[in-house]
Amino acid sequence: MKYNEFEELSEEEKVAVLYADALYIGKRKVNGRPAILYQLDTFYVEVLYLKYRKYIARFIATDDLTILDPYLEQIKIESFV
Amino acid sequence: MTQAHPPRNIVFYADDDQDDLELVREAFHNYSDNVEVITATDGAEALSYLKNINEGDPLPCIIILDINMPVLNGKDVLMKVREMDFLVEVPVILFSTSSNPMDELFARRFQAHFITKPIVAEQMGKIADRFIEHCTDEIRAKIRRR
Repeated sequence: MKYNEFEELSEEEKVAVLYADALYIGKRKVNGRPAILYQLDTFYVEVLYLKYRKYIARFIATDDLTILDPYLEQIKIESFV
Repeated sequence: MTQAHPPRNIVFYADDDQDDLELVREAFHNYSDNVEVITATDGAEALSYLKNINEGDPLPCIIILDINMPVLNGKDVLMKVREMDFLVEVPVILFSTSSNPMDELFARRFQAHFITKPIVAEQMGKIADRFIEHCTDEIRAKIRRR
């Protein structure tokens, strides 16, 4: 699957695909709200929550590696704590 | 001698993610008359709790371990748990954010179960039941008794 095909899926289908096949990359806060980044095949999906694991605000699917940056920053910071 | 309250069933859950700890506590809320959720926030704390269970203390009816935890991860804790004879009958679940087949294989190798953390609420509502499914028949009946 490619990221543009993922974008065509319904929310229910996106959740099902992520649940079955995605690899967890990391978690962060975006404007105080939780976000989780997954890898799916050759692209990434960031799930932005209104309420953690309860209400999803939106999905961002991309093959642009810069989506990893905030998560990598977090790893760098955590390794110094 | 009669007991004023029925003995509680302990669900032991270790996870460093406060949001997930809260969600699992909430998931067991419907069973709060019969279930006590005891939590730890890293693998070492989990192991310390389990090691310090004395003879006569109630054993957890289920042990749920997040895989990615600081100090000692869930897989390490599982291996240590399997060295503790008194916990041999207690079902253990590795509870992970993604469904990695290698983690599932690892769980099976150490006689544990594997459950992926839900992405949304519809799945979350069922999670307590999915955990309870792994308990013994006797414990399951006790937990579901209203």
